[in-house]
Amino acid sequence: MFLFDMHTLSQVVLVAVAGGIIGLDRTAAGQFMFSQPIVAGPFTGWMLGDATAGFVIGAVLELVWVLDMPVGNFVPADSTISAVSATAIAALAGPGGAPLDLIGFCLLLTTGMVPATMMIDNIVRKRNSRLADMAVASPGEDAGRRLARAHLSGLKAFFLKSFVLYLVFLPAGLAAAFLFARMPEQFHRAMSLFVKLLPLLGVAMILRRLSMKMFDRLFLSGFVIAVIAGQLFHIHALFIILLTAAAGWLGVMHRAR
Amino acid sequence: MQSLGFAFVLEPVLRKLYPEKAEYESRLALHREYFNTQPYLASFILGASARLEQDRASGREATADVSGLKAALMAPLGALGDSFFWGALKPLSAVVAVAALVGGGWWAPFLYLILYNVWHVGLRACMLFWGFQSAGDPVALMNRYSFTKMARLFKAITLSVVGGILGMSFLWRPELMAFCFPGILTALAGLGLALILAAVLRWGGSPVKIMLGLAVACLALAYSGVV
Repeated sequence: MFLFDMHTLSQVVLVAVAGGIIGLDRTAAGQFMFSQPIVAGPFTGWMLGDATAGFVIGAVLELVWVLDMPVGNFVPADSTISAVSATAIAALAGPGGAPLDLIGFCLLLTTGMVPATMMIDNIVRKRNSRLADMAVASPGEDAGRRLARAHLSGLKAFFLKSFVLYLVFLPAGLAAAFLFARMPEQFHRAMSLFVKLLPLLGVAMILRRLSMKMFDRLFLSGFVIAVIAGQLFHIHALFIILLTAAAGWLGVMHRAR
Repeated sequence: MQSLGFAFVLEPVLRKLYPEKAEYESRLALHREYFNTQPYLASFILGASARLEQDRASGREATADVSGLKAALMAPLGALGDSFFWGALKPLSAVVAVAALVGGGWWAPFLYLILYNVWHVGLRACMLFWGFQSAGDPVALMNRYSFTKMARLFKAITLSVVGGILGMSFLWRPELMAFCFPGILTALAGLGLALILAAVLRWGGSPVKIMLGLAVACLALAYSGVV
């Protein structure tokens, strides 16, 4: 049984440490986008020996969450915890390659976790917003050192938040995945369909956010170019991407004239 | 939280400029005041603040109002940066990488990091020096970098590439293929369903609710024997 043997527990701790470090990239340090699902998912998958689960989860969550922006005081959903948790649960619960239905179930589980992660994120941010007061040096104390300590304590709080959440979510997710294996066949089919429909939902979300029109000309021209290039000329996916990008660029140039 | 980071980065500069402890501490305390902007464009304000502190310390401009400059710049640069980095560069890098990934490219995460960080790191470094050089002149910044134009261009390319992702859905990794029709029909079915979902999204709702709604719809289809 995969549940909670020493190997699984050590993997859970490893993911919690790695996830905690990756999570710092969200807002606390750097923001080089290592924390984005498309990077964090495959990285977790590679780490646990199931790259495919990481690729699928990373691609799907990236499309869904990419335009959830940290504007003003709005704290977006923690897509890093979703991607890392979903990939880790899928990889640990499905040794030798997680099946698609299990990947779908893990995505559903981590979607359900989002409100909890947002609430805890808000609490940590509120605590960190008081750090400026804590940075005031007492008489005789070096002000710079005090400031550095307060600053680093903010990073520590963000790390601990993610670390603890992984330690809670991963065992809970593994237990849920254990129960999922005993669910009726229809539930498994539904989860396979769910994972296949999520990219379409992601595309719809991007279209909705970036364009006021349902039938946006740039969107449709990209679609037509890809169909023609792929179906009629059998062009490689990479060149199709370049062609569609060039079409978007030409579209803007044409509009500007 | 950003105010603390701002003061932390500026601290070595202040320590060097103000050898007298009382003044150093008072300047450091000044930079702990409220500060919130787009984190990448904060580099511009950081460079400008360092310049004004230098002018002030050297006596070239003893009344330089660093707080006023920060307060004046943080809101507009925040709006500009949010729209460019979060609203345009990030989605563009993401959709290009997702297109590569669904097309079978294992290197897509690296492509994403390169595409994003060439702009991000490059602009962040340039902003720091440009802020210092121009002493925080926003007009000079706007003349040098047309963020609004670039954002419009990136958003247009993003839309086109997203259309392309759907158009090449018959080339997707098999795990992600929603339909098993031959060639173009797969793409058309994907387009139809994506447009229906986009129409549904017009009613509003958070991504979490929409994803949960989709899961319920999948369960309903499975239990009714449709799939």
